[in-house]
Amino acid sequence: MKPFKHYDVNTLDEAVSALQNFAGKAKIIAGGTDIVGMFKDEVFAERPEALINIKTIPNLDYIKEEDGMLKIGPLALLEDIAHDELIKGKYTALAEAARRTASPHIREMGTISGNICQQCRCWYFRSPNNRFNCIRKGGEDCYAEEGENRYHSIFGNVKDCLAVNPSDTAPALIALGAKVKTSKRVLEIADFYEKEEPKKTTVLDDDEIVVEIQVPQPAANSKSKFEKFAIRKSIDFPIVNCASQVEMDGDTVKSARVCLNAVFANPYVAQKAAEYVVGKTLDEETVTAAADLALQDAKPLTKNAYKITIAKSLIKKTLLACK
Amino acid sequence: MDKKKLGIMEIEPLVRDRYIQDEFNLIGKRGISRMCGKEKAGGRAEYTRDVQLPGMLYCRILPSPYAHAKIKSMNTEKAEALPGVRAVLRYDDPELADKPLYGLETKFNAGHLASDGQAFYHGKHELAVTLEQWKQGAGRVLDGVAWWEGHPVGAAVAADTPELATEALGLIEIEWEELPLVLDPLEALKPGAPLAAEEINNRNNIIRKLKVEHGDVEKGFKEADKVIKFDARRRPYTVADAEPMSDVIQWKGDNVEIWAHQQQAYDGKIIFGMKMGIPLNRIKLHVPYQGSQFGGGGNPMMHHTHGVHIISGILSKRTGRPVKTFYDRKDNFYNLSQDTDCHTSFKVGFKNDGTITSVKIDNICAKMGQYGIDHFEENTRIPNLALNYLEANINVAPAYWFRCEQNHNALCLSLVIDHVAAALGMDPVEVSLKNDGAEGRDMEYLSKFKVEHGFPDRDSLAEAIEMGKEAFDWDSKWHAPGTKMLPNGKLHGVGFTWDHEWDDTRGTACAGVLMHCDGTVDILSQKSDDGLNAMTTHCQIVAEEMGLKLADVNFRFFEEVGFQMMTPDGSCNLAVDAYCTRNAAREARQKLLEYATTPVKVLEIEYPAAFPEHHPDDLDVKDSIVYLKANPDKNVPVAEVVKRAVLNQGGTRAPLFTWNWHRQGRYGTEEGRHRLTRQAYFAEVEVDPETGGVDVKTIVNINDVGKAISPETCEGQQYGGDYMGVGRALAEEVIYDPKTGVKLNANLIDYKVFTMRDIDETVNLLLETGMGYGPYGLNGIGECIATIVPGVIGNAIYNAIGERVDDHPMTPDKVLAAIEKAKAKRGDVK
Amino acid sequence: MVQKHQDDGGGKKITLKINDNEYSMVIEPHWTLREVIHDKLGLTGTKEMCDKGACGSCTVIMDGRPILSCMTLAIECEGRKIETVENLEVVGNPLVEAYADNHAMQCGYCTPGFVMTAKALLDRNPDPAVEQIKDALEGNICRCGTYPAHIDAVLDAAKRLEGGKK
Repeated sequence: MKPFKHYDVNTLDEAVSALQNFAGKAKIIAGGTDIVGMFKDEVFAERPEALINIKTIPNLDYIKEEDGMLKIGPLALLEDIAHDELIKGKYTALAEAARRTASPHIREMGTISGNICQQCRCWYFRSPNNRFNCIRKGGEDCYAEEGENRYHSIFGNVKDCLAVNPSDTAPALIALGAKVKTSKRVLEIADFYEKEEPKKTTVLDDDEIVVEIQVPQPAANSKSKFEKFAIRKSIDFPIVNCASQVEMDGDTVKSARVCLNAVFANPYVAQKAAEYVVGKTLDEETVTAAADLALQDAKPLTKNAYKITIAKSLIKKTLLACK
Repeated sequence: MDKKKLGIMEIEPLVRDRYIQDEFNLIGKRGISRMCGKEKAGGRAEYTRDVQLPGMLYCRILPSPYAHAKIKSMNTEKAEALPGVRAVLRYDDPELADKPLYGLETKFNAGHLASDGQAFYHGKHELAVTLEQWKQGAGRVLDGVAWWEGHPVGAAVAADTPELATEALGLIEIEWEELPLVLDPLEALKPGAPLAAEEINNRNNIIRKLKVEHGDVEKGFKEADKVIKFDARRRPYTVADAEPMSDVIQWKGDNVEIWAHQQQAYDGKIIFGMKMGIPLNRIKLHVPYQGSQFGGGGNPMMHHTHGVHIISGILSKRTGRPVKTFYDRKDNFYNLSQDTDCHTSFKVGFKNDGTITSVKIDNICAKMGQYGIDHFEENTRIPNLALNYLEANINVAPAYWFRCEQNHNALCLSLVIDHVAAALGMDPVEVSLKNDGAEGRDMEYLSKFKVEHGFPDRDSLAEAIEMGKEAFDWDSKWHAPGTKMLPNGKLHGVGFTWDHEWDDTRGTACAGVLMHCDGTVDILSQKSDDGLNAMTTHCQIVAEEMGLKLADVNFRFFEEVGFQMMTPDGSCNLAVDAYCTRNAAREARQKLLEYATTPVKVLEIEYPAAFPEHHPDDLDVKDSIVYLKANPDKNVPVAEVVKRAVLNQGGTRAPLFTWNWHRQGRYGTEEGRHRLTRQAYFAEVEVDPETGGVDVKTIVNINDVGKAISPETCEGQQYGGDYMGVGRALAEEVIYDPKTGVKLNANLIDYKVFTMRDIDETVNLLLETGMGYGPYGLNGIGECIATIVPGVIGNAIYNAIGERVDDHPMTPDKVLAAIEKAKAKRGDVK
Repeated sequence: MVQKHQDDGGGKKITLKINDNEYSMVIEPHWTLREVIHDKLGLTGTKEMCDKGACGSCTVIMDGRPILSCMTLAIECEGRKIETVENLEVVGNPLVEAYADNHAMQCGYCTPGFVMTAKALLDRNPDPAVEQIKDALEGNICRCGTYPAHIDAVLDAAKRLEGGKK
């Protein structure tokens, strides 16, 4: 790696002020499993000057129920979330998503805040030494459109960028109705992702950091489920993943949330599927129709229409599991 | 040169060696700990990547950012000015003027490729380019033109640290002239296609042509009850080896030391010496443990094998310091071999009973392709065969053998048998047995051949199938294609394939056995340890043959001692190499017994022997003790026998040292040296019809290894090959950007090497018929499994879906497309 | 332990605790823990394979967790308890012998990473079931495909641990 500056901070305030000092030219490092890779590959068109290490801030790795919600500290490790009995029992989709993220070692290092903030895995964007100066880096073109797009978006572009969000935990948190508390505000997690500007993954300002994940307690008659499709059963980022949470009223669905990821620039809330199942029983026919509706708007590229089929399947599987 | 008529030394190509089972103490025994095991597991084993010398510089070579481009001008001043940069080697520096990358000096050369290479017996190759152009084809050690993205060109920088070397590369200013490129062999062969490398061929992109015809294929089609046609595609996969490439070179006065991560390290030394003008006896070669190779590390036309030595050598000479040239993971993806891209069309005629009458293959490959016809020739009784082969140059990284050169040959055989079985609604096992044979001859002929040449007359394929069927429960699991859905909603499929075993065919080896004065033995020979447990197996053989305890034998292959064993050691470890360790050990044992029985008289003093009254034939050795056969109570430890004889400076005898050389076969598989051992593979998969995901539930391998020296080591090759083979079947693929030729997945996140989770179960059984050409009747096992498994997985996927994928790797998009096709055929409304 | 903002963001002298040894040295921010362990301290059992957090070959145990030293900045490791593969024979951990006896390696390059991942597992769970071993080792890549033997080796080591040996 090329040299850069590195600062340890003791408090969140210090982290924020360090970010302010660098006015957009510093990044936070927590688990480091994403940012270190990008530094190694010289992915950035303009490389950040400094990393601000927040692992030195004490007591930010908590997992607790408080004020009627699950609160997760930004430094909580994915491995701990995956094996936490409380999360496994009540917030099942999140535990499953954490468990299916990357590899055991990455989960022992990677944090929940890092996982929801991670950059896309588009291989044009990630090509070392900024070989493709794509839209996401401020360039002119998206190279995936006419190139190798087997893993890219099936729901169109954001300002021509076709990269997808690769997080496994994000769709689970969206299905669970989580909020992200930042150093400035509290956001619905679905609103946490940047919708307009491909140069940014999240809406976080340059001097803003995630300070807590808040997940409301699920209703008594609800279940949640996460499914992931990838080539390998470990290590891989998702080709498509999906999380659903369903609240039942007797045999019928009272409310539902369904979220796909790795299909669009942001986690893709499958609103039509969720609305369709309300008031119905969760049988094969219902979930199939819901899945078809959810993918109605899909616009596959030259090489990724298969992802539509997979996305439908995952919607069906997660919904049925919530019965 | 004197035109003196040279005598021809006959090499017996049909050497074979019977063994008598159950008479061994060490050979074939389980529970022998791996001798390199603690060193490796404890983190003490040294690999080239780990070598660090005082004052060592780190060198990196510039990778071309373009798939086809010329350097118009290059300015290295800024890189040279960077503090900590000690030397910059430019492509136009005089030291490089006469340094083609091509390794003519070794046994691998264009002539080898043209006439003496793989599958050479079936016809004359036609090189579409001249020998000179072939040589050009490798380019130069550092060139001014790039033929693929990542091609090491332009400059190499040696600096105090790895990151400084990398930083300096970024400071080199180059004006490039981008040239048109071509990435697909079919495109490359179209008229008017861009020339991939006009330096090699300035008319078109054809590198090699081959036509083969045995019998009369048209007649064969007429005799057939049915004729089918189909196409298959195989996309390139790559070595992705464990240890990223590096070498270290240090000049010491007139001498040079090399640390090489190289499969055929001695070849590398020869090339280095000749290109640098250094006598070979001035070069000391160290070959530390090798973090895997798989044959891909053996390409003599690539930087990886010796281009780096020349760069390190020049820079070490310039700076007076040891230089380590290293690749990072991405460089490794560019410069190590990948397997080639193949488009293959088949026409097959057969009788209603499954007897194949005619096979015609049209095959177009990119760079270092594989013909596809070979295993029909070597391995079947099919009388009429034809091949039309074309090889095109394209702008992608070099291709070379990667576990192994038979990849396409194995897949083609597997596809043809399975397609025929499907067309007839037959069990593929039956079709296979119907066509097993050799060079157009049937099993009756082969039986006669076996008897005539002293082999046991066993039907290897029938035995392997019987074992496999039972282990797999084939008869109850097999079903017609596309007919079984499991309660979990997945499509159940089983597949079978078979092939012969080719890992005993070639090469030469040389080894010495030296007994020290304490009775312990060193096996002296240089080879690379690619992980095939050569250390333990050769020690087993020498200990067995000499009657020593295993702990008394060691094999130090890291240092070059003038003797080399045949590598790639995966193909030829024991089948070739063990002849010389065995023969040297037998001779050493004889010498030891002579020492034990022969007194020595020096001037007036007589040195008594341990068994002065006896003849060597009266003695035997067991557990490192020499004893009288007639009275085992009369015994003397080996250490005692040799102590007085060979003790340094007081010894009475020459060192107890023997050596042996062995030539195995010719090169490749030659006519009339029929392959006798077979292997059978069974696989069970579950295909998710909604996602196209394939779960590999079980693989059963039966390998006829002739004779297993170390069963655990053979099994390691079996399950290891399973994982690689399944990865090739389902995931491994080098992916290029179609516009720029930039490799998009040159990392181990996007290039998918399979993990522990990706196969549920592997069952590995060994068949020992003694019909190998190696010592003890053994043959190899290293190459074949990963080579053949993709075929059996494809057959199982077909059996699940009822529609073929036949485009490897069989990724979910292709599997889903086949499922849709099957549904459409069945008229499913969805 | 943690220094306040007086630092200039550059290299600083810190103490690394590796295998019960303390190493005080100036660490640059861009040095990974793997580079420091392998290149600077010469503990070459911690291998570089993928260099991107995707293979497990550089696994070390830090405060009880198996982590990837190639994706860890050494400057962030002050005061953490780090164990590398070289320590196993020193403390007589049975994994090394169990690996050799069960042939759980071929070329051996990735093996130390597996061994350290297995060590972290056995430290937490001295009697793991097969599925738990797979859960622990599923992120380690072995190009030679030695996977089934690892399960035998870890089970064997667990048995040897039970025998009272440490």
